[in-house]
Amino acid sequence: MAAVDFEALRDDFPNLADGQPPLHYLDSAASTQKPACVIESIRHCYAHEYGPVHRGLYPLAENASENYEAARRTLARFINAGTTDQVVFTRSATEAINLVASGWAATHLQSGDEIWVSQMEHHSNFLPWQRVCNQRDARLRIIPVDDRGRLDLENAPELFGPRSRLIAISQMSNVLGTINPVREVVEHARRHDIPVLVDAAQSVGHMPVDVQELDCDFLVASAHKMCGPTGIGFLYGTSARLRETEPLLLGGGMVDEVGIDHSSWAEIPARFEAGSPNLAGAVGLATAVDYLSTIGLKAIEQRVRDLTDYAYQTLEAFDEVLLYGPETGNERGGILSFNIEGIHPHDVAQVAGEQGVAIRAGHHCCQPLMQRLGVSSTARASLNFYNNEQDISALADVINETVKLFGKR
Amino acid sequence: MTDQSIYRAVLLDHFHNPRNKGDLGDMQIVRRGSNPRCGDEIEIGINCENNTLESVRFRGRGCSICLASASLMTESARGLKLTQARDLIEKMQLWFGDQGGVGPPGMGLAALGSVRQHPARKKCVLLAWQALDEILDEIERHPEIVGA
Ligand SMILES: Cc1ncc(COP(=O)(O)O)c(C=O)c1O
Repeated sequence: MAAVDFEALRDDFPNLADGQPPLHYLDSAASTQKPACVIESIRHCYAHEYGPVHRGLYPLAENASENYEAARRTLARFINAGTTDQVVFTRSATEAINLVASGWAATHLQSGDEIWVSQMEHHSNFLPWQRVCNQRDARLRIIPVDDRGRLDLENAPELFGPRSRLIAISQMSNVLGTINPVREVVEHARRHDIPVLVDAAQSVGHMPVDVQELDCDFLVASAHKMCGPTGIGFLYGTSARLRETEPLLLGGGMVDEVGIDHSSWAEIPARFEAGSPNLAGAVGLATAVDYLSTIGLKAIEQRVRDLTDYAYQTLEAFDEVLLYGPETGNERGGILSFNIEGIHPHDVAQVAGEQGVAIRAGHHCCQPLMQRLGVSSTARASLNFYNNEQDISALADVINETVKLFGKR
Repeated sequence: MTDQSIYRAVLLDHFHNPRNKGDLGDMQIVRRGSNPRCGDEIEIGINCENNTLESVRFRGRGCSICLASASLMTESARGLKLTQARDLIEKMQLWFGDQGGVGPPGMGLAALGSVRQHPARKKCVLLAWQALDEILDEIERHPEIVGA
C-alpha cells in the first residue's frame, strides 16, 4: 500500500481548503464534507447529461438511465454485493430502514415475536422497529451496552431464541464510536435463521465493508456520510430477503401492470424505487465511491485510527474530561463523545463554534443510549481522513477555554 | 473570547454567581421548565403579596445561557406588580421572536441579546421566563394561593 498524502487530500475539499479563518471540522459523523470531484460530477450531470431515468427513448434519456444504473453497479462493487440488483437506492439510511420495517417486518411479524435492537441505536434504527412491534403486537427487545460502550451480548440470552424474528444493529455507533462484532452476531443468527439488518451509516466509506463477508440480510447507509451528496442512500438486501419485501412507496416506475383492482410490481430493485429517481444523487454517490476507493478504505481506516488515538489521548489528559465508549484501539472508529465536568455540552460546542471548531452537542438521536450513560447529552467530536493534527489541537484549545470560562473558580 | 462571543461578562457573572438561586421550599408557587432535547431543567418559585412579586427564586441545572437567563429573570422580576411582570415576559418573547424591530426590555437584560443570533439557543433563554409566565397564569386562575 503506497503511503497516502492525507494532508494534500485536504485541498480536494473546498470547504476545508478555502476556509478563512480555518475550519476545524469535527462533525463528520453528522455529515462529511464533499470533495470537489463529487460537486463537479453533480454539476456536470445537471449541465450536460441530465434527462429522465427509465422513462425516455431518446439518447439523452437513455444516457441518463445508463448513468443511473452505472452508479448502482459502482456501489454494488464497492460493498461487494453478489449482484447489482441487490442494491436499492433510497433517500437515506433512514428511509432504507423504514422500507425494511414496513416492507419486511410488518408482513412477517406474528404476535409475540421479537425484534432486537441495541441500546446504542440511532433513533432511525429504533423508532421504525418500535412502531412495527406496537402495530403487530410484537416485542422490541434491547441488547444492553456495557460500561465501556460495547454490546453486552452475554446479557441478551434470548437474542437468538425462538421468538427472535429480526436483529437490527449498527456496525459503528454514532455516539461512542464502538465497532460492533456484526460478523459474529450474523454467524449466530444464521444458525437460527434470524435475519440481521446492519445500520452501516457510520461505517461505509470509513472502513472496508463487504456485505458477503458480513453475510448480513440487509445493510443500509447514507451517501452524505461518505463524502457523497444529501438526499440519497441505499439498501442492500440478499435476493431472497428482497423478494420477501413489499415496497414502501407505490407510484411511477415500480409497476409491471396496473389494473383497476390489482397491479403487479416491477422486478427488483425497480420495485422499491417508486417515483422519478435521483439521478444526480446517484452520480454524486458513485463519484464519492470512486474517490474513496482510489484513496483506499484500509488507508482511510488507518488514518482515522491514528487521528482517533491522538484525539483520545489529548482529551484523556484533561482531568475535567469524561470520555465515553471503548478505549482507544481497534474497537472504535473516529467518534469521541465526552463531557466536561459541571459544564453543559452546549456551552462546549458554542465555545468551539466561536473558535472555528465544529463539534456537535446533544443526544445525537440516541436518547436510549443517553439514558444508559446517565446523561441528557454529550459533546461529540468526529473525525474523517481529512482531519489533521491541528484540528485536534484546536479542540484541546476549546477545552482549555471552556474550562477557563465555565469551570469552578 | 471575541466581542461577538455570546458569553459576555454579564452572562458569565450570572452563571458563576447566580442571584436568587437555591431552595424553593417556602415559595407559594413553583413551576418547572424543561427542555428534554438538551437537558435543561429548572424550577422557578415566587412569593407574592399585594399583587407584587416579593421574591422570585430558581434552582436547577442546564447550560450557562439557561442558568444566566434564569438568574437575570429573577433579578428583573422581583418587585414587579403582576401586570408589569406579564408585560416584561411579553416583551422578552417579542425581543426573542422572529418579528424584529423590538429591543431589549431594559438595560439589565441587554446582555442576553448576543444569544439572539443563535436560534438554537433561544429556548435556553426563554425557559425561565416561560415558567414565570405559567406561574402568572396559575395566580390568575387561583388568586387565593397568594392570599388575594
Ligand atoms: C448510526 C446511524 N444510523 C442512521 C443514521 C441516519 O442517517 P440519515 O439521517 O442519513 O438517514 C445516522 C445518522 O446520523 C446514524 O449515525
